[in-house]
Amino acid sequence: MASKAGQVKNLSRRSFLKFVGGTAGLVGISLNLTGCGDPATADEAIGGNGWMPTQYNAPGNWPTSVRGRVPIDPENPAIVRDDQKCILCGQCIEVCERIQSVFGNYELPIKKEFVCVNCGQCIQWCPSGAISERDDVNKVFKALADPNVTVVVQTAPATRIGLGEEFGMPVGTNVQGKQVAALRKLGFDVVFDTNFTADLTIMEEGTELVKRVTGELHHPIPQMTSCCPGWVKFVEYFYPELIPNLSSAKSPQQMEGALIKTYFAEKKEVDPKKIFSVSIMPCTAKKFECQRPEMNSASKELNDSNVSPDVDVVLTTRELARMIKRAGIDFASLPEEEYDKLMGTGTGAGVIFGTTGGVMEAAVRSAYFLITGQQPPAALWNLTPVRGMQGVKEAAVNIPGVGDVKVAVISGLANARKVMDQMKAGNAPWAFMEIMACPGGCEYGGGQPRASSPPSDEDRNRRAASLYNIDAKSKLRNSHDNPEIKQIYADFLTAPMSEKAEELLHTHYVSRADDFIPKKSEENKLF
Amino acid sequence: MAKGVLVDIPKCIGCESCSVACKLWNELEWDEQEKCKTAADRAKEPNNGLWPEEWTSINRFDLEKDGESVARYVKAQCMHCEDPACVSSCFSKAFQKLPEGPVIYDQSLCVGCRYCMMACPFDILRYEWKKAIPGVRKCQMCATRVANNQETACTSVCPTGAITFGDREELLAEAKKRIKEHGYVDRVFGEKEAGGTSWLYISDTPFEQMRFRTDVTTKPLPSYTEGYMKATPFVGVGWAAILAGLYVYNNKGKEPLD
Repeated sequence: MASKAGQVKNLSRRSFLKFVGGTAGLVGISLNLTGCGDPATADEAIGGNGWMPTQYNAPGNWPTSVRGRVPIDPENPAIVRDDQKCILCGQCIEVCERIQSVFGNYELPIKKEFVCVNCGQCIQWCPSGAISERDDVNKVFKALADPNVTVVVQTAPATRIGLGEEFGMPVGTNVQGKQVAALRKLGFDVVFDTNFTADLTIMEEGTELVKRVTGELHHPIPQMTSCCPGWVKFVEYFYPELIPNLSSAKSPQQMEGALIKTYFAEKKEVDPKKIFSVSIMPCTAKKFECQRPEMNSASKELNDSNVSPDVDVVLTTRELARMIKRAGIDFASLPEEEYDKLMGTGTGAGVIFGTTGGVMEAAVRSAYFLITGQQPPAALWNLTPVRGMQGVKEAAVNIPGVGDVKVAVISGLANARKVMDQMKAGNAPWAFMEIMACPGGCEYGGGQPRASSPPSDEDRNRRAASLYNIDAKSKLRNSHDNPEIKQIYADFLTAPMSEKAEELLHTHYVSRADDFIPKKSEENKLF
Repeated sequence: MAKGVLVDIPKCIGCESCSVACKLWNELEWDEQEKCKTAADRAKEPNNGLWPEEWTSINRFDLEKDGESVARYVKAQCMHCEDPACVSSCFSKAFQKLPEGPVIYDQSLCVGCRYCMMACPFDILRYEWKKAIPGVRKCQMCATRVANNQETACTSVCPTGAITFGDREELLAEAKKRIKEHGYVDRVFGEKEAGGTSWLYISDTPFEQMRFRTDVTTKPLPSYTEGYMKATPFVGVGWAAILAGLYVYNNKGKEPLD
């Protein structure tokens, strides 16, 4: 077979042009078919009419349904937002306006500040984690590292049934003992339980209620609870005329804080100036509460301006979980430990403060005792009308000598607003009202672990059930039976609402009506 | 019909949804340092918080009104002039004013001379000094959305109606109505400023105190130079003809190798 190498094919100028023309034609046809080679017309050419910069030719990363967001003051003591994570889904507006009835309930322009009750429900609803609590973890680590400072910590009723979720445990797991162990391991010197001051709150608030009913104290009825700082701020903003109805008793956190720097310091002979008081709360509004100028009783009582506020730092359940993770503690394998004595014993009545209806149930048990002098019947240990996740619950409790006492339990501020409007109209048949800002109470507060699903009553019920379970299993189920409560009244406070108790455990409220212009009417609604 | 946006300053609550929407739609990068600044911080900066990657920003001004201290939030972005100085100053046609209202920019036509930045009466344009191939960046008034009969990204998310998108003429009438109703300052900023702008501002506090350039001319800026700039080609061609004539005249009768 002859090799073709060396053969020269004659290529005429004509055939070369035909070849090139054919290729170009093919390329042209295929470009046209694929739509890539549109001939430039005057309209489409760059610089022509209908001209668009190339940066706009591809669609952006734009969420399908955007609705804006609530304003958050950069100075807000409790809540911060990372703009980079925000997708403008509008969930925060939804919860703030419809469930908490805060956003949109003021006229524009704003006067001095944004109206915010610091409840932190927007944190729970934010699907991208853009909104979160103001992180105070470093302040606590700094105090723990200082050997001259006695760091005292208290844990709220609801953190023990929330914290486990941060470590992959089922919703509502009770990790009370592990929480105490973790706190000791982190280096906290003394671990107290806010359940103790929850019991103390019942004694103070219950006594106040009895005094109001008997007319010994000239304050209006119904008495409203003041444990929830979000609710208290809500009243100060929107219903200043109802401030006299609020119980003057401080929240359990602030009672514990004030007692840590006075009672504990005196008993254990610790310099109050060198006590750093931390509280672990399921709540963001507590961060605001501890910064209120009134919450400085220890300094006033001891007449020493060098004593810092009663509670120095509030950490949310999530922040505590972050601390534990940062310290590399294996939470699941921790042993169960006990709270320190003196202010570390709580009853079943104290622990149910963590859910809606719990304060009421605890109060009813002790009110029965305070009025009749006898132990409450077992029926009051399971007051079903005030349990559950309905927004407004009512009950009538028969107390011998007084008759039927009507009580109301409200959670969620939009529900509270409806009832408050009813009250202003003169229609309030109740003697005592428990109001919590967050739907479901503290167990689903703004500082509790975020669920992967949107907030639901299913999760709320599971957490509440866990708290009721702790109560049911407790040896002591009435606040007035708490031995440490008896001890503190015998050794330090003398009696409920004594002069010293008033000084340390009671507070006053300020009207915030001047900070904004309330919405005039529904028709006048600007947004 | 030309579109526009009405900014009702007292209605703004400072949630900054608009600036986040701008970032999302235009896929602008986040800057760690800028992200941490508050609206009050930005108001103290000379550039109103506008950077190549920040096309709009909210600035907080603490003012006195009727003896009370009040806070007002002001949105800053390109005003989208009716007769923009940046467009007329750009010899490479990188800027265009669309009939719907937006003033837009195309980097592929830009030569980087930055005449536009000097021409802008509101100091809005930002140059990407840090980039190897820099361009000029500013609000494009979501030109593709506007062309598709959608509103701008920022107005679409405003929860209080502080910024409203619509036909400029209608918004102007609405602005005047609101001024009367609410007792605002009797001035629609943008009605006549720089010959009129697509963005219109109304306020209950003096514009001067919120860093508005209230002394800006009401004549369209290009009109200052239009007259003689139009004569440039004729002057150029005419001058060349004269010189050519002189050359021919001077060399008449000379031998080529002289």
